[in-house]
Amino acid sequence: MEQTSPPPQGLVANVLRGMMPFAVGIIFASLLHFVLPGMIGRYYSRIVTDIGIAIVMAVSLNIVNGMTGQFSIGHAGFMTLGGYTAAFITYYGSMCIWGDTASHGGFLGRGEWLFAVSCLMGGLFAAGAGYVVGLPSLRLRGDYLAIVTLGFGEIIRVILQQTGPLIDSAEALKEGGWSQMIPPPVGGALGFGGVPKYTNLFWVYTILTITIVVAYRLKISSIGRAMISVREDEIAAQAMGVNIARQKVLAFVIAAFFAGVAGGLFAHEPGVIVSPKDAGFQRSFDYVIMTVLGGRGSISGVMLSATILTALPEFLRDFEQYRLIVYALLLIIMMLVRPQGLLGIHEIWNLWPLRRSKVSTATPEAKS
Amino acid sequence: MNKPAAKEVVESRSAQKPLLDVNAIGISFGGLKAVQEFSLQLPAAGLFGLIGPNGAGKTTVFNLLTGVYEPDCGEIRLGSKRLVNRKPHQITAAGIARTFQNIRLFPDLSVLDNVRLAGQLRNQHGLWSTLIRTRGHLREETMLEEKALDLLRIFELQDRAQELASNLAYGHQRKLEIVRALATNPQVLLLDEPAAGLNPQEKMALAQSIRQIRDRFQVAVLLIEHDMPLVMEICERIVVLDHGVTICRGTPNEVQNDESVIAAYLGTGLTDE
Repeated sequence: MEQTSPPPQGLVANVLRGMMPFAVGIIFASLLHFVLPGMIGRYYSRIVTDIGIAIVMAVSLNIVNGMTGQFSIGHAGFMTLGGYTAAFITYYGSMCIWGDTASHGGFLGRGEWLFAVSCLMGGLFAAGAGYVVGLPSLRLRGDYLAIVTLGFGEIIRVILQQTGPLIDSAEALKEGGWSQMIPPPVGGALGFGGVPKYTNLFWVYTILTITIVVAYRLKISSIGRAMISVREDEIAAQAMGVNIARQKVLAFVIAAFFAGVAGGLFAHEPGVIVSPKDAGFQRSFDYVIMTVLGGRGSISGVMLSATILTALPEFLRDFEQYRLIVYALLLIIMMLVRPQGLLGIHEIWNLWPLRRSKVSTATPEAKS
Repeated sequence: MNKPAAKEVVESRSAQKPLLDVNAIGISFGGLKAVQEFSLQLPAAGLFGLIGPNGAGKTTVFNLLTGVYEPDCGEIRLGSKRLVNRKPHQITAAGIARTFQNIRLFPDLSVLDNVRLAGQLRNQHGLWSTLIRTRGHLREETMLEEKALDLLRIFELQDRAQELASNLAYGHQRKLEIVRALATNPQVLLLDEPAAGLNPQEKMALAQSIRQIRDRFQVAVLLIEHDMPLVMEICERIVVLDHGVTICRGTPNEVQNDESVIAAYLGTGLTDE
């Protein structure tokens, strides 16, 4: 149990301790990036990439839906908003810097750093939107909030459809001046094509690591407990001094940030053209299903369900036209057999018998 | 019985400035005047009772005091702080904690986490220090846990610390609610029917522990309760509500012999007139 161990000695040790999970994650991501495609080929590597993005989306949505108990079904709206922002920065940024929109610089080269910054900006932009969407959650609950978030996704979709056509050369960009930026030239209903394809296993799994570590540290901290208390009983939470308005908005902002970053990854994924319909409710629902199926507030449960639900349609390809039926049937059976989700409110490491015995012996120790 | 001594203490206490000073608060829902002109002067470490028949507005008074409802009129002060128009969490931070008539624990949190959550009210830390786990953050989390465990130990719930709150027996849940309220470090503790559903032995133990809580934590206690023997035994002064109106206030003896109180509980005889 991480939270019961005594604080480590010395500043250096503490910084190392704090950064350790990130370092491990980055090493893991590099390994995946360099080893995996050679082992399983490009098709399956692509699925692994998709799984990574789905996990980032589902784990971040779980902060709102699972931990704080606010029912948001507009998560794909944040994702698409972040994706468009990031794509806008890399597309027009590359044009300004290099004069074209191809990938530049190779692994960890200049182009990839531009991409990393663009994802960060996408995340921040989405987080701003998350703040705005979080505000109605202070007055609305349950179904009503769900409708607001649904509306948000649809608004994003419609706005993106009304955007201007892409500017496809550096010359045109220079000649056109500022007036062509209104409405933003991001491709309208056709989608934002031609974005440099920077997304790879390294970046996806690095961001995945950050998302999971952040979600986990939130969950075991007092902020996370305050969020969970809002889910459990708002009136009691208030009576215990929890500022529920703050917790709800915070949850929305954090979740939207990671959705925006995931959107950046998605928009730069090879073979993907991010388009307005990605903001629609269908995609949002995919992520809601992942969180419901994983178990509310369970990070590992949601990771598991995101993996299964992303990989399953691919492995059901053999059944062709029946695969959506099989997929739906599995969901129905799942809801009948385990309505609390795969892991319920637990984490996978709490179910491990070894861990459990450790937890129970921890109490007498604390007593003495 | 040391009633005269207790009475002296009460009088010397009420001579001081009251800790919780409620002055003529009232609220109506539509045409229904749920509470009218309710006043209360609760001294520091006082133990007062609030009784009345069902629907008299007792819980509404609690909701007014804790900011769940905003009073239409009147004034609430805790020490020198004005509490009207404050949010519930601000009122808890100011020093009023409560329990609920129908238990409102956080069912899917462990017993320890229920208490820890209430304890963290006075140790808020930022998002950033949480995410990179600064030393201060870790130290604070450890401290919060120790404080919560200490409190659980006092109430002999430490063996259950890792259990989910929903798995506790009913009596323990009632107890945990009080522990949780105490964890916010209050000056005033509002207990809403803490004895409801307890058996006679548990009620006896509860009466003892309410007194002990008052002495040990130096909190003022305001108690809503239907169990008259319990109220009469432990409360120094009692306020009686009926239909939102204060019909009587005084020591247990005075209240027990008050005609309007008897009338409110038992009704008036027809033939007497």
